Amino acid sequence: MTETMNIEDYLAKGGVLTAPGNAPARYRGELMRLMSSFVDSELAGSAGFANAINFAPGIKERIAASRITLEKADHAGRVLEVMADFGTDMARYQAQHQWDARVARDADLGTTRQSGDMRLSVLHYPITGWTDAVVMNVLQGLATDVQMTELTRVSYGPLAEVFRQIAPREKRHAELGLEGLERIVATEAGKREAVKAIAYWRPRVAAGFGMAHSGRFETLKKFGLRHATNEDLLARWQNLTGGHLAALGL
Amino acid sequence: MARFHPLKVTDVRRETRDAVVVTLAPSDEHRELFDFTQGQYLTFRRDFDGEELRRSYSICAGKDEGALRVGIKRVDGGAFSTWANENLQPGDEIEAMPPMGRFSTALDPDAARTYLGFAAGSGITPVLSIIKTVLAREPKSRFTLVYANRQINSIMFREELEDLKNLYLGRFAVMHILETEGQEIDLFTGRIDAEKMAGLFKHWIEAEGVDTAFICGPEPMMLTVAQGLRDHGLGDEQIKFELFASSQPGRAKAKAVSRDAVEPGSGTEATVTLDGATRNFQMPRQGETILDAAIANSMDAPYSCKAGVCSTCRCKVLEGEVEMAVNHALEDYEVRAGYVLSCQAYPLSERVVVTYDE
Repeated sequence: MTETMNIEDYLAKGGVLTAPGNAPARYRGELMRLMSSFVDSELAGSAGFANAINFAPGIKERIAASRITLEKADHAGRVLEVMADFGTDMARYQAQHQWDARVARDADLGTTRQSGDMRLSVLHYPITGWTDAVVMNVLQGLATDVQMTELTRVSYGPLAEVFRQIAPREKRHAELGLEGLERIVATEAGKREAVKAIAYWRPRVAAGFGMAHSGRFETLKKFGLRHATNEDLLARWQNLTGGHLAALGL
Repeated sequence: MARFHPLKVTDVRRETRDAVVVTLAPSDEHRELFDFTQGQYLTFRRDFDGEELRRSYSICAGKDEGALRVGIKRVDGGAFSTWANENLQPGDEIEAMPPMGRFSTALDPDAARTYLGFAAGSGITPVLSIIKTVLAREPKSRFTLVYANRQINSIMFREELEDLKNLYLGRFAVMHILETEGQEIDLFTGRIDAEKMAGLFKHWIEAEGVDTAFICGPEPMMLTVAQGLRDHGLGDEQIKFELFASSQPGRAKAKAVSRDAVEPGSGTEATVTLDGATRNFQMPRQGETILDAAIANSMDAPYSCKAGVCSTCRCKVLEGEVEMAVNHALEDYEVRAGYVLSCQAYPLSERVVVTYDE
């Protein structure tokens, strides 16, 4: 039982890697990129949502926004710990970008990331009020829910485990958003505002699924870091979002 | 960042013809750093003819043994494992990083859990640490081990496993699968394949009620066992993997070029700015990246993947010329603007000036 196989073949067959020492250079790079993107997005998301706490109309909403702010930062920390196993300096990493920095509301970033900051482009846009925050959280929360089906089965075992702990809490964030949105659409004025916010956020969240026919996908798939294509994930999100919004009459 | 610390070798015990068990003691000041969790490994480093090798070996001791112990099986052509098997002696010192790895589950003294372990060859080392710790710290839990080896005399920790069976009567079971030796039960002869997994679950192991399964061995065995476990109803969250030590890509670094060995005309005068402070130093034009040179000159330069992907180490070239070996991170316009990944950047000109601050 001592025969081994090429690590790329092992990964292509669904193998799991368990330590930085197992990871070939290119794999390590792609894995770091994936983790950076998640950590930066959670930190930027948390920083953005911190403002939403003060937009909250009541105590219940204030607590929901605080919880999302807190837990997204916590999730960033958990993934950053896995990065630290690969030599990332945690103290330096978490201070390298200004996580609450935002571009102008009408800027058009498309799908591109901004310099070294690996956050999803949607997290560069500013939140302007409570309804705006809730809608953004619902749409991006459902997107995270879809992305988690990929992340919880990445081939780097210790990271997949962290994502499996995170996934139900991220799901709860989207649910909190849906509960908030339900209260907002109870009035006609609220509904009108929600419709406007959906029009703003929907294409920006969709951009976060990346480009169709991404050249990187095949590499990531071979490494077991991705399983479903950007197109598939986007379609699932559109479906999921359509269903939830329709249920609220939106 | 984790650093290397010296450990004193206090005992070297021959376990099989080609495996030793090495007991190590940290100095008093590092004792806490080397407090381990069952299933973790140590990474050692040693110079072999000027080339640094790093190798990881799993801890085989349980949490309650009060000792740090690793099993090292000799791998054909393996410089480190051969050296450990043939030359390592009590009294020697060896450098290691603090324990790492997440091959474990949280223990609960009140829990009555059922664990499965699958180990092949030296893959037993972390599993043994887990078995000993679980049996001692979760008095109501049970553990069943399926342990694959070529033949009887290559089984590591055979006696220790027998002792554990007697010590924890009824709570610990071992099934030896031997590749080249016939046994009374046919199922226990040969390699672990899909058929054998099905046979084990049919006659010997109750898949239902298993809380966690641990697998440690070479790649094909891990794939087969994981698939077998999934086929019998275990979820991914219930399966813990540890690829064993021989599956480490060669970590021998490119030969380090000594700073003293830089010949006139072949070196580069580097000026690096980081966090507002600027330093000047000489670096070779080959064999060392700007990042490594900056770190070697006591600058706390940022980096993460060192593979040209994550862009943590990005810096801007203000003067001179550099070449990147790999770039998966920077866009064309960034490269045109003078940005490079310092982990991949080698100087081409006699003088380079770079900054991490822009």
